[in-house]
Amino acid sequence: MWVRCILALTGAALIASATVHADDTLPPVLISRQLSEGEHLSVGDVIRLSASDNGSNVRQFRIAGIYEPTPDPARLGAVIREVQLHLPDLLGLTREPSAPSGSEYVQTINVALVDPNDADAFSRDVRARMPGIDAQPASGAAESTGPFIVLRRFHLAIAIVTIVASTVFLLALSIMLVDERRAAVGVLRLIGLPIRRILLQLFLEGLLIAVVGSVFGLALSLLSEGIINRFFQWRYDTTLVFVRVTPQVAAVCVAIAIPLGVSATVVASWALLRRNGLRLARR
Amino acid sequence: MNAMGFAWRSLVRQPARASLGVLGVAAVGALLFDMLLLSQGLVISMRDLLERTGFDLRVTATDALPGQGPLIPNAVERTQAISQLPSVRSAVALRFANAVVLAGAPRGVYTTFQGVAGTGAAHPWTILRGRDVTAGRPEIVINENTATRTRLDAGSRVMLRASCNGQEQALPPVRFTVSGIAQFPFDSPNGTTVATSLQMLATACGGNETNEADVIMVASQERAGPAAAVSDVAKLLPDLHVLSNAEAVNRFERGGFTYFRQISTVLTAVTLSFAVLLITVLLTVSINQRLGEIAALRALGFSRWRVVADVFCESVLIVGGGGLLSLPVGALLAIGLDHILKRIPGIPADVHFFVFQPSALQVHLLLLSATAIVAALYPIRIVARLPIAATLRDEVVG
Repeated sequence: MWVRCILALTGAALIASATVHADDTLPPVLISRQLSEGEHLSVGDVIRLSASDNGSNVRQFRIAGIYEPTPDPARLGAVIREVQLHLPDLLGLTREPSAPSGSEYVQTINVALVDPNDADAFSRDVRARMPGIDAQPASGAAESTGPFIVLRRFHLAIAIVTIVASTVFLLALSIMLVDERRAAVGVLRLIGLPIRRILLQLFLEGLLIAVVGSVFGLALSLLSEGIINRFFQWRYDTTLVFVRVTPQVAAVCVAIAIPLGVSATVVASWALLRRNGLRLARR
Repeated sequence: MNAMGFAWRSLVRQPARASLGVLGVAAVGALLFDMLLLSQGLVISMRDLLERTGFDLRVTATDALPGQGPLIPNAVERTQAISQLPSVRSAVALRFANAVVLAGAPRGVYTTFQGVAGTGAAHPWTILRGRDVTAGRPEIVINENTATRTRLDAGSRVMLRASCNGQEQALPPVRFTVSGIAQFPFDSPNGTTVATSLQMLATACGGNETNEADVIMVASQERAGPAAAVSDVAKLLPDLHVLSNAEAVNRFERGGFTYFRQISTVLTAVTLSFAVLLITVLLTVSINQRLGEIAALRALGFSRWRVVADVFCESVLIVGGGGLLSLPVGALLAIGLDHILKRIPGIPADVHFFVFQPSALQVHLLLLSATAIVAALYPIRIVARLPIAATLRDEVVG
């Protein structure tokens, strides 16, 4: 089992030497794709690792595989040069010569519970039984605090401004489109159709336009989702997903767009229908 | 009446649609203005902050950020050697640790703990009340947040438990006297910071690492400049990494916060497309409703260029009015958005995401002018190709 112990190469010297016949008895390591590409390393190569910047206590390892690092928004823009070792290998590499074996420490222990719903109770239990150690449920930790919630608020604020701008334009367009049909509406009034009946017709037209517009908007967003993701994934060399149109997001957009579109049509129509039929029909 | 006056009357005649058009442009323009402020705001703000600290160079053991890489050994001697270079005015060594100030709360208050040693009189903080720390004495300066949360002030005595190597440590608490309240340039809005001399920090850390620092900050001589100082320090200490403010800003620009520049580029493009599309539709629908009127004007003797100029002036008035309105709206929106983004943990209180600069205003005006021109192209084409007789006949017969 691979233990996720990441030896950051900031403080460690990596000296790579490809050998034709790699020694299978050497301890295996995994390296990140970015490190593999940057240093031209491939599976089976032997690398030498040291935890000190003066190159002491060098040990040899065999590259057993190349992995794609888990996308991490906090490391956006950074070239992820990572090596993953088995925990005993890492401790052996980083232990001070004077330190006895077994006195090392780790930063984090990941725990998989039988029932994930027990996470809160388990963390409380650990804190009570082991003072000095903090235990936190992993689920929702990334979303509850930190930059992600802030970015979500930022994008929400921009979305609100966009909606306001769209509403204003929509209202202006609706007024013009309804005004364009003032003569036709005037004739309908003069031949006896009640205001309610004409308003219903305009309402249904507005609804139809809003539905078609929403569907077109969703199609456009699905198309731009792919373009934006591909662009940013290329720009930052990551598999991170930047834009995701989920059914929930789509539902919220439709739930805002259709009532807004219909309301704009009805408000604009009402302003017109309040006028006298003769005045409307007059050229 | 000139074209602008005629366009003005056309808009005033239909105040509802003209007002809505101007308001729509104002909202879109405000977003566009904010995106332009965001595109470079963070970098400009960070550059200002770095320059305000009074130090031009940062010397570290590796290319990792200060506090995230290995310590610089023999930091005090190296700081003295750097300060004797002709291109250098002063140099200070800085070490970062953590500490719990045992006051104010049952379990104390967690703080960032800085230790400083150097040749210059200036420390990388500004004293607000009281006085600065004296080297060799168990004194600390604390920031306002720490003072508020620990209820300490200049002259108070307090116990402090340091944590110096990233591991859980059980070091004995050390007694310090608060000599003053200071402002630290890189403090986040809720950050708690405590600082003392490097020697006293080492004592609080158990006394084992008395001569190590995370970073040496260097102020260059004005006549020599930072470039000469970088070169001199690199020659003197080739095993260390030297970074000027400009290089630090460049690095910052290439780092994770390029996200905001990218997102501002995308939103600028989307916003402009949106504005062009909608103003084009507004003008086109408006022109289509007035085809008979325009044909009549042509029949009365208005030239083709004159009616084209009328349409163009309408576009200019709508975009111009909205553009003017977008500046105060954008400024207010920028304050709100900046307030939201500054809640990202670890962002210094003095750093802003939206920073006004004249070039952003120039680009804003340029883009809006381009929007007015592009949005008017299609309606202008309709007006320019309008067949006078056929249009008049259609309008009258229809």
